[in-house]
Amino acid sequence: MALSVGVLALQGGFSEHLHSLRRAAADLNRHVNCIEVRTPEQLSACDALVIPGGESTTLSLVAVQSNLLEPLREFVKVKRKPTWGTCAGLIFLSEEASSTKRGGQELVGGLDVRVHRNHFGRQRESFVTDLELAFLEATPSSSKPPPFPAVFIRAPVVDKLLTDEVEDRSAQNHVATETGLPSPVVKSRAAKNAKVEVLAVLPGRHASNEAAAIGDISAVAPKGDGDIVALRQGNVFGTSFHPELTDDVRIHTWWLQQVLQATSLN
Amino acid sequence: MVNNDITSAAAAVAGSSNGARSDDFRVKSGLAQMLKGGVIMDVTDAAQARIAEEAGACAVMALERVPADIRAEGGVARMSDPGKIKEIQEAVTIPVMAKARIGHFVECQILEALGVDYIDESEVLTPADDLYHVEKSGFKVPFVCGCRGLPEALRRIAEGAAMIRTKGEAGTGDVVEAVKHMRQLNKDISRAKAALQESGELGIRALAREFEVDPTLLKQTAELGRLPVVNFAAGGVATPADAALMMQLGCDGVFVGSGIFKSGDAAKRAKAIVRATTHFKDPKVLAECSEGLGEAMVGISVSSMRPDQKLAGRGW
Repeated sequence: MALSVGVLALQGGFSEHLHSLRRAAADLNRHVNCIEVRTPEQLSACDALVIPGGESTTLSLVAVQSNLLEPLREFVKVKRKPTWGTCAGLIFLSEEASSTKRGGQELVGGLDVRVHRNHFGRQRESFVTDLELAFLEATPSSSKPPPFPAVFIRAPVVDKLLTDEVEDRSAQNHVATETGLPSPVVKSRAAKNAKVEVLAVLPGRHASNEAAAIGDISAVAPKGDGDIVALRQGNVFGTSFHPELTDDVRIHTWWLQQVLQATSLN
Repeated sequence: MVNNDITSAAAAVAGSSNGARSDDFRVKSGLAQMLKGGVIMDVTDAAQARIAEEAGACAVMALERVPADIRAEGGVARMSDPGKIKEIQEAVTIPVMAKARIGHFVECQILEALGVDYIDESEVLTPADDLYHVEKSGFKVPFVCGCRGLPEALRRIAEGAAMIRTKGEAGTGDVVEAVKHMRQLNKDISRAKAALQESGELGIRALAREFEVDPTLLKQTAELGRLPVVNFAAGGVATPADAALMMQLGCDGVFVGSGIFKSGDAAKRAKAIVRATTHFKDPKVLAECSEGLGEAMVGISVSSMRPDQKLAGRGW
Protein backbone atom coordinates (compact mmCIF):
# COMPACT_ATOMS: atom_id res chain seq x y z
CA MET A 1 0.00 0.00 0.00
CA ALA A 2 1.20 3.49 -0.81
CA LEU A 3 2.52 5.62 1.97
CA SER A 4 0.20 8.41 3.20
CA VAL A 5 1.91 11.53 4.44
CA GLY A 6 -0.28 14.23 5.97
CA VAL A 7 0.41 17.91 6.30
CA LEU A 8 -1.46 19.62 9.13
CA ALA A 9 -3.55 22.22 7.29
CA LEU A 10 -5.06 24.27 10.11
CA GLN A 11 -3.12 27.40 9.20
CA GLY A 12 0.23 28.39 7.71
CA GLY A 13 2.51 27.15 4.97
CA PHE A 14 0.96 23.76 4.34
CA SER A 15 0.61 23.96 0.55
CA GLU A 16 4.35 24.62 0.22
CA HIS A 17 5.11 21.42 2.14
CA LEU A 18 2.69 19.42 0.01
CA HIS A 19 4.39 20.78 -3.08
CA SER A 20 7.88 19.93 -1.81
CA LEU A 21 6.81 16.46 -0.61
CA ARG A 22 5.31 15.66 -4.02
CA ARG A 23 8.54 16.73 -5.70
CA ALA A 24 10.60 14.67 -3.26
CA ALA A 25 8.40 11.61 -3.82
CA ALA A 26 8.83 12.01 -7.58
CA ASP A 27 12.60 12.27 -7.14
CA LEU A 28 12.55 9.04 -5.12
CA ASN A 29 10.28 7.49 -7.72
CA ARG A 30 7.83 6.46 -5.02
CA HIS A 31 4.09 6.86 -4.92
CA VAL A 32 3.17 8.85 -1.83
CA ASN A 33 -0.31 10.15 -0.98
CA CYS A 34 0.16 13.68 0.27
CA ILE A 35 -2.94 14.86 2.11
CA GLU A 36 -4.18 17.93 3.97
CA VAL A 37 -5.12 17.16 7.57
CA ARG A 38 -7.83 19.19 9.31
CA THR A 39 -9.74 16.50 11.21
CA PRO A 40 -8.98 13.49 13.46
CA GLU A 41 -10.31 11.20 10.71
CA GLN A 42 -7.84 12.57 8.19
CA LEU A 43 -5.02 12.22 10.73
CA SER A 44 -5.85 8.59 11.36
CA ALA A 45 -5.25 7.86 7.67
CA CYS A 46 -1.64 9.11 7.86
CA ASP A 47 1.55 7.09 8.22
CA ALA A 48 3.57 10.25 8.85
CA LEU A 49 2.86 13.93 9.39
CA VAL A 50 4.37 17.33 8.72
CA ILE A 51 3.40 20.23 10.97
CA PRO A 52 4.13 23.36 8.95
CA GLY A 53 5.12 26.86 9.88
CA GLY A 54 2.42 29.34 10.71
CA GLU A 55 1.53 31.06 13.95
CA SER A 56 2.04 28.57 16.77
CA THR A 57 -0.63 30.26 18.91
CA THR A 58 -3.13 29.91 16.06
CA LEU A 59 -2.13 26.28 15.46
CA SER A 60 -2.70 25.31 19.07
CA LEU A 61 -6.00 27.18 19.43
CA VAL A 62 -7.40 25.80 16.19
CA ALA A 63 -6.12 22.29 17.01
CA VAL A 64 -8.03 22.44 20.29
CA GLN A 65 -11.18 23.76 18.53
CA SER A 66 -10.88 20.99 15.94
CA ASN A 67 -10.50 18.24 18.59
CA LEU A 68 -7.07 17.44 17.19
CA LEU A 69 -4.79 18.03 20.16
CA GLU A 70 -5.20 14.62 21.82
CA PRO A 71 -5.16 12.70 18.51
CA LEU A 72 -1.95 14.56 17.61
CA ARG A 73 -0.35 13.66 20.95
CA GLU A 74 -1.33 10.03 20.44
CA PHE A 75 0.04 10.08 16.88
CA VAL A 76 3.40 11.51 17.97
CA LYS A 77 3.96 10.10 21.45
CA VAL A 78 2.00 6.85 21.67
CA LYS A 79 1.93 5.50 18.13
CA ARG A 80 5.27 7.24 17.58
CA LYS A 81 4.69 7.83 13.90
CA PRO A 82 7.25 9.91 11.99
CA THR A 83 6.48 13.59 12.46
CA TRP A 84 8.36 16.65 11.24
CA GLY A 85 7.74 20.19 12.45
CA THR A 86 9.10 23.34 10.81
CA CYS A 87 9.23 26.64 12.69
CA ALA A 88 5.81 26.85 14.41
CA GLY A 89 5.64 23.07 13.90
CA LEU A 90 8.88 22.68 15.87
CA ILE A 91 7.37 24.77 18.68
CA PHE A 92 4.25 22.60 18.64
CA LEU A 93 6.36 19.42 18.89
CA SER A 94 8.47 20.64 21.82
CA GLU A 95 7.74 19.75 25.44
CA GLU A 96 8.21 23.35 26.52
CA ALA A 97 8.23 26.79 24.94
CA SER A 98 9.33 30.14 26.26
CA SER A 99 8.19 33.63 25.24
CA THR A 100 4.73 32.20 24.68
CA LYS A 101 1.62 34.33 24.68
CA ARG A 102 0.30 35.34 28.08
CA GLY A 103 -1.25 32.33 29.75
CA GLY A 104 0.94 29.97 27.70
CA GLN A 105 -0.13 27.77 24.82
CA GLU A 106 -0.95 24.10 24.34
CA LEU A 107 1.79 21.96 22.80
CA VAL A 108 1.78 18.47 21.35
CA GLY A 109 5.29 17.69 22.61
CA GLY A 110 7.52 14.79 21.64
CA LEU A 111 10.89 16.55 21.67
CA ASP A 112 12.48 16.81 25.12
CA VAL A 113 13.56 20.38 24.59
CA ARG A 114 12.45 23.89 25.32
CA VAL A 115 12.15 26.26 22.36
CA HIS A 116 12.43 30.00 22.50
CA ARG A 117 9.80 31.63 20.26
CA ASN A 118 10.67 34.57 17.98
CA HIS A 119 14.25 34.03 19.06
CA PHE A 120 15.89 36.43 16.63
CA GLY A 121 13.25 39.13 17.06
CA ARG A 122 10.67 40.58 14.73
CA GLN A 123 10.27 40.28 10.97
CA ARG A 124 13.09 42.72 10.23
CA GLU A 125 15.42 40.20 11.93
CA SER A 126 14.30 37.39 9.59
CA PHE A 127 17.05 36.12 7.28
CA VAL A 128 18.31 33.49 4.86
CA THR A 129 21.66 31.83 5.50
CA ASP A 130 23.64 28.90 4.18
CA LEU A 131 23.73 26.03 6.64
CA GLU A 132 25.97 22.95 6.60
CA LEU A 133 23.82 19.87 7.13
CA ALA A 134 25.85 16.74 7.80
CA PHE A 135 22.78 14.48 7.73
CA LEU A 136 22.24 15.18 4.03
CA GLU A 137 25.39 13.28 3.14
CA ALA A 138 24.15 10.35 1.10
CA THR A 139 26.98 7.94 1.82
CA PRO A 140 30.02 8.12 4.05
CA SER A 141 32.26 8.23 1.02
CA SER A 142 30.48 10.99 -0.87
CA SER A 143 31.85 14.49 -0.67
CA LYS A 144 30.45 17.21 1.54
CA PRO A 145 26.94 18.25 0.46
CA PRO A 146 26.49 21.86 -0.64
CA PRO A 147 25.08 24.05 2.13
CA PHE A 148 21.32 24.36 2.51
CA PRO A 149 19.65 27.77 2.02
CA ALA A 150 17.95 28.03 5.41
CA VAL A 151 15.08 30.54 5.63
CA PHE A 152 14.46 31.81 9.17
CA ILE A 153 11.23 33.79 9.61
CA ARG A 154 10.52 35.04 13.13
CA ALA A 155 12.08 31.70 13.93
CA PRO A 156 12.36 29.77 17.19
CA VAL A 157 15.49 27.92 18.36
CA VAL A 158 16.03 25.20 20.93
CA ASP A 159 17.39 26.99 23.98
CA LYS A 160 17.25 24.21 26.55
CA LEU A 161 17.62 20.44 26.53
CA LEU A 162 15.34 18.51 28.84
CA THR A 163 17.23 15.23 28.67
CA ASP A 164 20.81 14.17 29.23
CA GLU A 165 20.67 11.71 26.36
CA VAL A 166 22.11 13.97 23.67
CA GLU A 167 24.31 13.36 20.69
CA ASP A 168 25.75 16.16 18.59
CA ARG A 169 25.66 15.06 14.98
CA SER A 170 25.76 18.55 13.49
CA ALA A 171 28.33 19.56 10.89
CA GLN A 172 29.12 22.50 13.13
CA ASN A 173 30.26 20.17 15.91
CA HIS A 174 33.35 19.21 13.93
CA VAL A 175 34.45 22.74 13.25
CA ALA A 176 33.10 25.17 15.76
CA THR A 177 32.78 23.63 19.17
CA GLU A 178 35.57 22.49 21.35
CA THR A 179 33.32 22.58 24.34
CA GLY A 180 31.68 19.37 23.13
CA LEU A 181 28.07 18.41 23.60
CA PRO A 182 25.65 20.83 25.16
CA SER A 183 25.17 19.49 28.65
CA PRO A 184 21.64 18.97 29.87
CA VAL A 185 20.06 21.42 32.20
CA VAL A 186 17.71 19.00 33.89
CA LYS A 187 17.75 15.27 34.35
CA SER A 188 16.02 13.08 31.85
CA ARG A 189 12.40 12.79 32.81
CA ALA A 190 11.67 9.72 30.73
CA ALA A 191 14.53 7.31 30.28
CA LYS A 192 12.58 5.32 27.73
CA ASN A 193 12.65 8.18 25.23
CA ALA A 194 15.19 8.10 22.46
CA LYS A 195 18.16 10.40 22.70
CA VAL A 196 18.08 13.86 21.21
CA GLU A 197 20.24 14.12 18.11
CA VAL A 198 21.39 17.65 17.39
CA LEU A 199 21.47 17.87 13.59
CA ALA A 200 22.33 21.50 12.92
CA VAL A 201 23.65 24.43 14.89
CA LEU A 202 23.54 28.00 13.66
CA PRO A 203 26.84 29.43 14.75
CA GLY A 204 27.18 32.64 16.72
CA ARG A 205 24.32 34.61 15.31
CA HIS A 206 22.42 36.17 18.10
CA ALA A 207 22.98 38.22 21.18
CA SER A 208 20.71 36.43 23.60
CA ASN A 209 23.15 33.63 24.37
CA GLU A 210 25.62 36.30 25.35
CA ALA A 211 22.97 38.01 27.43
CA ALA A 212 22.17 34.71 29.02
CA ALA A 213 25.83 34.17 29.77
CA ILE A 214 25.77 37.29 31.88
CA GLY A 215 22.43 36.54 33.48
CA ASP A 216 20.73 33.26 34.17
CA ILE A 217 23.07 30.71 32.67
CA SER A 218 21.13 27.75 33.95
CA ALA A 219 18.12 28.72 31.86
CA VAL A 220 19.87 28.39 28.53
CA ALA A 221 21.68 25.63 26.68
CA PRO A 222 25.23 26.33 27.77
CA LYS A 223 26.73 25.92 24.35
CA GLY A 224 27.19 29.64 24.13
CA ASP A 225 28.34 29.94 20.56
CA GLY A 226 25.41 28.70 18.57
CA ASP A 227 21.74 27.77 18.44
CA ILE A 228 20.26 24.36 17.79
CA VAL A 229 18.13 24.75 14.66
CA ALA A 230 17.59 21.12 13.58
CA LEU A 231 17.20 18.05 15.74
CA ARG A 232 15.66 14.63 15.98
CA GLN A 233 14.46 12.49 18.82
CA GLY A 234 13.23 9.07 17.79
CA ASN A 235 10.31 9.57 15.43
CA VAL A 236 10.20 13.35 15.79
CA PHE A 237 12.23 15.70 13.59
CA GLY A 238 12.27 19.47 13.91
CA THR A 239 13.76 22.42 12.05
CA SER A 240 13.64 26.10 13.01
CA PHE A 241 13.85 27.09 9.39
CA HIS A 242 11.65 26.58 6.32
CA PRO A 243 12.96 24.12 3.69
CA GLU A 244 9.51 24.35 2.04
CA LEU A 245 10.17 28.00 1.16
CA THR A 246 13.05 27.03 -1.12
CA ASP A 247 13.29 25.02 -4.32
CA ASP A 248 15.77 22.72 -2.57
CA VAL A 249 13.92 19.51 -1.65
CA ARG A 250 16.88 17.62 -0.18
CA ILE A 251 15.51 17.72 3.37
CA HIS A 252 12.06 16.57 2.21
CA THR A 253 13.70 13.75 0.27
CA TRP A 254 15.85 12.76 3.24
CA TRP A 255 12.85 12.80 5.59
CA LEU A 256 10.68 10.75 3.20
CA GLN A 257 13.48 8.19 3.02
CA GLN A 258 13.54 8.05 6.82
CA VAL A 259 9.76 7.62 6.84
CA LEU A 260 9.92 4.85 4.24
CA GLN A 261 12.56 3.04 6.30
CA ALA A 262 10.64 3.45 9.55
CA THR A 263 7.33 2.30 8.13
CA SER A 264 8.82 -0.73 6.35
CA LEU A 265 10.25 -1.90 9.66
CA ASN A 266 6.79 -2.02 11.20
CA MET B 1 7.21 20.75 -14.82
CA VAL B 2 4.15 22.72 -13.88
CA ASN B 3 5.03 25.08 -11.14
CA ASN B 4 2.09 25.76 -8.91
CA ASP B 5 3.53 27.29 -5.82
CA ILE B 6 4.42 30.75 -4.65
CA THR B 7 7.85 29.74 -3.42
CA SER B 8 9.53 29.65 -6.81
CA ALA B 9 7.57 32.71 -7.82
CA ALA B 10 8.91 34.70 -4.88
CA ALA B 11 12.45 34.24 -6.07
CA ALA B 12 11.50 35.12 -9.61
CA VAL B 13 9.59 38.24 -8.60
CA ALA B 14 12.69 39.62 -6.97
CA GLY B 15 14.93 38.52 -9.82
CA SER B 16 16.91 35.37 -9.06
CA SER B 17 19.99 36.86 -10.65
CA ASN B 18 20.48 39.08 -7.64
CA GLY B 19 21.00 36.79 -4.64
CA ALA B 20 20.69 39.33 -1.85
CA ARG B 21 17.54 40.91 -3.25
CA SER B 22 16.05 37.49 -3.92
CA ASP B 23 16.69 36.38 -0.31
CA ASP B 24 15.21 39.64 0.90
CA PHE B 25 11.98 39.06 -1.02
CA ARG B 26 11.87 35.39 -0.01
CA VAL B 27 11.84 36.41 3.65
CA LYS B 28 9.19 39.09 3.05
CA SER B 29 6.93 36.87 1.00
CA GLY B 30 7.70 33.96 3.35
CA LEU B 31 6.06 35.64 6.34
CA ALA B 32 2.90 36.13 4.27
CA GLN B 33 3.05 32.45 3.32
CA MET B 34 3.09 31.58 7.03
CA LEU B 35 -0.02 33.71 7.59
CA LYS B 36 -2.06 31.76 5.03
CA GLY B 37 -5.25 30.11 6.18
CA GLY B 38 -5.38 32.63 8.99
CA VAL B 39 -7.28 35.70 10.10
CA ILE B 40 -5.66 39.11 10.59
CA MET B 41 -7.69 41.31 12.90
CA ASP B 42 -7.86 45.10 13.26
CA VAL B 43 -7.18 46.18 16.84
CA THR B 44 -6.94 49.60 18.43
CA ASP B 45 -5.39 48.80 21.81
CA ALA B 46 -3.61 46.14 23.85
CA ALA B 47 -6.82 44.69 25.28
CA GLN B 48 -8.28 44.09 21.81
CA ALA B 49 -4.95 42.67 20.64
CA ARG B 50 -5.04 40.14 23.50
CA ILE B 51 -8.58 39.12 22.57
CA ALA B 52 -7.47 38.64 18.97
CA GLU B 53 -4.46 36.54 19.96
CA GLU B 54 -6.57 34.41 22.31
CA ALA B 55 -9.04 33.85 19.49
CA GLY B 56 -6.30 32.49 17.22
CA ALA B 57 -5.60 35.49 14.97
CA CYS B 58 -2.42 34.86 12.98
CA ALA B 59 -1.54 38.58 13.16
CA VAL B 60 -3.08 41.87 14.24
CA MET B 61 -3.34 45.18 12.43
CA ALA B 62 -2.65 48.02 14.84
CA LEU B 63 -4.63 51.16 14.09
CA GLU B 64 -6.06 54.13 15.91
CA ARG B 65 -9.62 53.82 14.68
CA VAL B 66 -11.26 50.90 12.94
CA PRO B 67 -12.49 51.72 9.43
CA ALA B 68 -16.13 52.00 10.56
CA ASP B 69 -15.13 54.83 12.92
CA ILE B 70 -12.89 56.48 10.35
CA ARG B 71 -15.90 56.47 8.07
CA ALA B 72 -18.26 57.81 10.71
CA GLU B 73 -15.96 60.49 12.10
CA GLY B 74 -14.47 61.70 8.83
CA GLY B 75 -11.42 63.97 8.73
CA VAL B 76 -7.91 62.95 7.72
CA ALA B 77 -6.96 59.42 8.77
CA ARG B 78 -3.24 58.92 9.40
CA MET B 79 -0.72 56.42 10.73
CA SER B 80 -1.30 55.44 14.38
CA ASP B 81 0.47 57.00 17.32
CA PRO B 82 3.72 55.00 17.78
CA GLY B 83 2.88 54.69 21.47
CA LYS B 84 -0.25 52.71 20.57
CA ILE B 85 1.70 50.45 18.26
CA LYS B 86 4.34 49.75 20.91
CA GLU B 87 1.64 48.98 23.46
CA ILE B 88 0.16 46.42 21.08
CA GLN B 89 3.58 44.95 20.24
CA GLU B 90 4.21 44.42 23.93
CA ALA B 91 0.83 42.80 24.51
CA VAL B 92 1.06 39.97 21.96
CA THR B 93 3.56 37.51 20.48
CA ILE B 94 1.97 37.25 17.02
CA PRO B 95 3.03 39.55 14.14
CA VAL B 96 1.90 43.15 14.42
CA MET B 97 1.05 45.03 11.23
CA ALA B 98 0.30 48.73 10.89
CA LYS B 99 -1.15 51.03 8.24
CA ALA B 100 0.53 53.89 6.42
CA ARG B 101 -1.10 56.36 4.05
CA ILE B 102 -0.76 55.70 0.32
CA GLY B 103 2.46 57.35 -0.83
CA HIS B 104 3.54 58.43 2.66
CA PHE B 105 7.02 56.92 2.69
CA VAL B 106 8.01 58.70 5.90
CA GLU B 107 5.16 57.05 7.82
CA CYS B 108 6.59 53.81 6.42
CA GLN B 109 10.08 54.68 7.66
CA ILE B 110 8.64 55.34 11.12
CA LEU B 111 6.73 52.07 11.15
CA GLU B 112 9.86 50.23 10.05
CA ALA B 113 11.84 51.85 12.85
CA LEU B 114 9.18 50.67 15.31
CA GLY B 115 9.77 47.12 14.12
CA VAL B 116 6.28 46.39 12.83
CA ASP B 117 6.20 43.05 11.00
CA TYR B 118 4.21 44.22 7.95
CA ILE B 119 3.11 47.62 6.63
CA ASP B 120 -0.28 47.99 4.97
CA GLU B 121 -0.11 50.88 2.51
CA SER B 122 -3.81 51.40 2.83
CA GLU B 123 -6.65 53.17 1.09
CA VAL B 124 -8.47 53.16 4.44
CA LEU B 125 -6.25 56.07 5.48
CA THR B 126 -6.31 59.36 3.61
CA PRO B 127 -3.87 59.20 0.67
CA ALA B 128 -0.77 61.39 1.02
CA ASP B 129 0.27 61.35 -2.64
CA ASP B 130 -2.08 61.55 -5.61
CA LEU B 131 0.56 60.36 -8.05
CA TYR B 132 2.78 57.73 -6.50
CA HIS B 133 2.47 54.77 -4.20
CA VAL B 134 5.45 54.11 -1.94
CA GLU B 135 8.47 52.48 -3.59
CA LYS B 136 8.45 49.46 -1.33
CA SER B 137 11.33 47.29 -2.46
CA GLY B 138 13.97 49.31 -0.60
CA PHE B 139 12.36 48.71 2.78
CA LYS B 140 13.43 45.82 4.98
CA VAL B 141 9.90 45.51 6.33
CA PRO B 142 7.45 43.80 3.95
CA PHE B 143 4.32 45.50 2.55
CA VAL B 144 0.77 44.44 1.87
CA CYS B 145 -1.36 46.52 -0.52
CA GLY B 146 -4.97 46.53 -1.69
CA CYS B 147 -6.26 45.75 -5.16
CA ARG B 148 -9.55 45.63 -7.07
CA GLY B 149 -8.20 43.38 -9.77
CA LEU B 150 -5.03 42.03 -11.35
CA PRO B 151 -3.68 45.28 -12.86
CA GLU B 152 -3.59 47.07 -9.52
CA ALA B 153 -2.15 43.98 -7.80
CA LEU B 154 0.72 43.61 -10.27
CA ARG B 155 1.54 47.33 -10.10
CA ARG B 156 1.87 47.03 -6.34
CA ILE B 157 4.03 43.90 -6.64
CA ALA B 158 6.26 45.73 -9.12
CA GLU B 159 6.72 48.43 -6.47
CA GLY B 160 7.81 45.75 -4.00
CA ALA B 161 4.62 44.58 -2.23
CA ALA B 162 5.13 41.03 -0.90
CA MET B 163 1.45 40.41 -0.15
CA ILE B 164 -1.82 41.56 -1.69
CA ARG B 165 -5.33 41.90 -0.34
CA THR B 166 -8.51 42.63 -2.17
CA LYS B 167 -9.77 46.07 -1.14
CA GLY B 168 -13.44 45.36 -0.63
CA GLU B 169 -15.12 48.28 1.07
CA ALA B 170 -13.69 48.73 4.55
CA GLY B 171 -15.86 49.65 7.50
CA THR B 172 -19.15 48.60 5.93
CA GLY B 173 -19.63 45.02 7.09
CA ASP B 174 -20.94 44.43 3.56
CA VAL B 175 -18.97 41.70 1.80
CA VAL B 176 -20.22 42.51 -1.70
CA GLU B 177 -17.21 44.60 -2.75
CA ALA B 178 -14.69 42.04 -1.44
CA VAL B 179 -16.47 39.43 -3.54
CA LYS B 180 -16.53 41.73 -6.55
CA HIS B 181 -12.79 42.41 -6.34
CA MET B 182 -11.93 38.75 -5.84
CA ARG B 183 -14.08 37.73 -8.80
CA GLN B 184 -12.47 40.46 -10.90
CA LEU B 185 -9.02 39.21 -9.90
CA ASN B 186 -9.92 35.63 -10.84
CA LYS B 187 -11.37 36.81 -14.14
CA ASP B 188 -8.25 38.83 -14.95
CA ILE B 189 -6.03 35.85 -14.14
CA SER B 190 -8.12 33.66 -16.46
CA ARG B 191 -7.65 36.23 -19.21
CA ALA B 192 -3.90 36.21 -18.64
CA LYS B 193 -3.83 32.41 -18.84
CA ALA B 194 -5.87 32.45 -22.03
CA ALA B 195 -3.64 35.14 -23.56
CA LEU B 196 -0.54 33.07 -22.84
CA GLN B 197 -2.08 29.87 -24.19
CA GLU B 198 -3.52 31.41 -27.33
CA SER B 199 -0.86 33.92 -28.32
CA GLY B 200 2.18 33.30 -26.13
CA GLU B 201 4.52 36.21 -25.46
CA LEU B 202 2.66 38.44 -27.91
CA GLY B 203 -0.62 37.85 -26.12
CA ILE B 204 1.00 38.62 -22.78
CA ARG B 205 2.53 41.83 -24.11
CA ALA B 206 -0.77 43.00 -25.56
CA LEU B 207 -2.60 42.30 -22.32
CA ALA B 208 0.21 43.93 -20.30
CA ARG B 209 -0.35 47.11 -22.33
CA GLU B 210 -4.06 47.00 -21.65
CA PHE B 211 -3.55 46.28 -17.93
CA GLU B 212 -0.65 48.75 -17.71
CA VAL B 213 1.50 46.19 -15.90
CA ASP B 214 4.94 44.64 -16.19
CA PRO B 215 4.74 41.82 -18.79
CA THR B 216 7.15 39.60 -16.83
CA LEU B 217 4.90 39.64 -13.76
CA LEU B 218 1.84 39.10 -15.94
CA LYS B 219 3.42 36.09 -17.63
CA GLN B 220 4.37 34.66 -14.30
CA THR B 221 0.80 35.07 -13.05
CA ALA B 222 -0.48 33.35 -16.20
CA GLU B 223 1.91 30.44 -15.70
CA LEU B 224 1.08 30.06 -12.02
CA GLY B 225 -2.65 30.52 -12.52
CA ARG B 226 -2.66 32.75 -9.43
CA LEU B 227 -1.03 35.86 -8.03
CA PRO B 228 2.69 35.29 -7.47
CA VAL B 229 2.31 36.42 -3.84
CA VAL B 230 -0.12 35.59 -1.05
CA ASN B 231 -3.56 37.19 -1.43
CA PHE B 232 -5.95 37.83 1.46
CA ALA B 233 -9.52 39.12 1.34
CA ALA B 234 -10.41 42.36 3.08
CA GLY B 235 -13.06 45.03 3.32
CA GLY B 236 -16.46 43.95 4.59
CA VAL B 237 -15.90 40.50 6.12
CA ALA B 238 -18.15 40.38 9.20
CA THR B 239 -19.23 36.77 9.76
CA PRO B 240 -17.74 33.25 9.68
CA ALA B 241 -19.73 32.63 6.51
CA ASP B 242 -18.23 35.74 4.89
CA ALA B 243 -14.73 34.48 5.71
CA ALA B 244 -15.45 31.01 4.29
CA LEU B 245 -17.04 32.59 1.20
CA MET B 246 -13.84 34.50 0.47
CA MET B 247 -11.73 31.39 1.08
CA GLN B 248 -13.88 29.35 -1.29
CA LEU B 249 -13.43 32.07 -3.91
CA GLY B 250 -9.70 31.41 -3.68
CA CYS B 251 -8.25 33.80 -1.11
CA ASP B 252 -5.35 32.63 1.04
CA GLY B 253 -6.73 34.14 4.26
CA VAL B 254 -8.81 37.06 5.52
CA PHE B 255 -8.48 40.44 7.14
CA VAL B 256 -11.32 41.34 9.47
CA GLY B 257 -11.50 45.02 10.32
CA SER B 258 -14.49 46.54 12.01
CA GLY B 259 -16.41 43.25 11.86
CA ILE B 260 -15.08 41.91 15.16
CA PHE B 261 -14.87 44.79 17.59
CA LYS B 262 -18.04 46.46 16.28
CA SER B 263 -20.06 43.34 17.07
CA GLY B 264 -21.79 42.17 20.23
CA ASP B 265 -19.44 39.45 21.50
CA ALA B 266 -16.04 40.19 19.95
CA ALA B 267 -14.12 37.25 21.46
CA LYS B 268 -16.69 34.68 20.42
CA ARG B 269 -17.05 36.08 16.92
CA ALA B 270 -13.28 36.28 16.48
CA LYS B 271 -12.85 32.60 17.41
CA ALA B 272 -15.68 31.59 15.12
CA ILE B 273 -14.17 33.44 12.15
CA VAL B 274 -10.78 31.79 12.78
CA ARG B 275 -12.40 28.36 12.86
CA ALA B 276 -14.44 29.08 9.74
CA THR B 277 -11.31 30.15 7.87
CA THR B 278 -9.59 26.82 8.59
CA HIS B 279 -12.65 24.66 7.90
CA PHE B 280 -13.94 26.79 5.03
CA LYS B 281 -14.93 23.75 2.97
CA ASP B 282 -16.92 22.05 5.73
CA PRO B 283 -20.52 23.39 5.92
CA LYS B 284 -21.22 21.42 9.10
CA VAL B 285 -18.43 23.18 10.97
CA LEU B 286 -19.50 26.48 9.41
CA ALA B 287 -23.04 25.95 10.72
CA GLU B 288 -21.66 25.26 14.19
CA CYS B 289 -19.46 28.31 14.33
CA SER B 290 -22.12 30.63 12.90
CA GLU B 291 -24.51 29.81 15.73
CA GLY B 292 -25.29 32.14 18.64
CA LEU B 293 -22.69 34.79 17.91
CA GLY B 294 -24.88 37.66 19.07
CA GLU B 295 -25.19 40.86 17.17
CA ALA B 296 -23.09 41.33 14.05
CA MET B 297 -21.88 44.82 13.22
CA VAL B 298 -24.80 46.86 11.95
CA GLY B 299 -22.98 47.89 8.81
CA ILE B 300 -23.80 49.97 5.80
CA SER B 301 -25.07 48.56 2.55
CA VAL B 302 -22.56 49.52 -0.12
CA SER B 303 -25.35 49.95 -2.69
CA SER B 304 -26.70 52.87 -0.67
CA MET B 305 -23.34 54.71 -0.74
CA ARG B 306 -22.28 57.53 -3.04
CA PRO B 307 -19.09 56.91 -5.04
CA ASP B 308 -17.24 59.59 -3.04
CA GLN B 309 -18.03 57.72 0.18
CA LYS B 310 -16.17 54.61 -0.99
CA LEU B 311 -12.56 54.06 0.04
CA ALA B 312 -11.69 51.47 -2.60
CA GLY B 313 -11.36 54.16 -5.25
CA ARG B 314 -8.25 55.49 -3.52
CA GLY B 315 -5.04 54.24 -5.14
CA TRP B 316 -4.69 53.04 -8.68
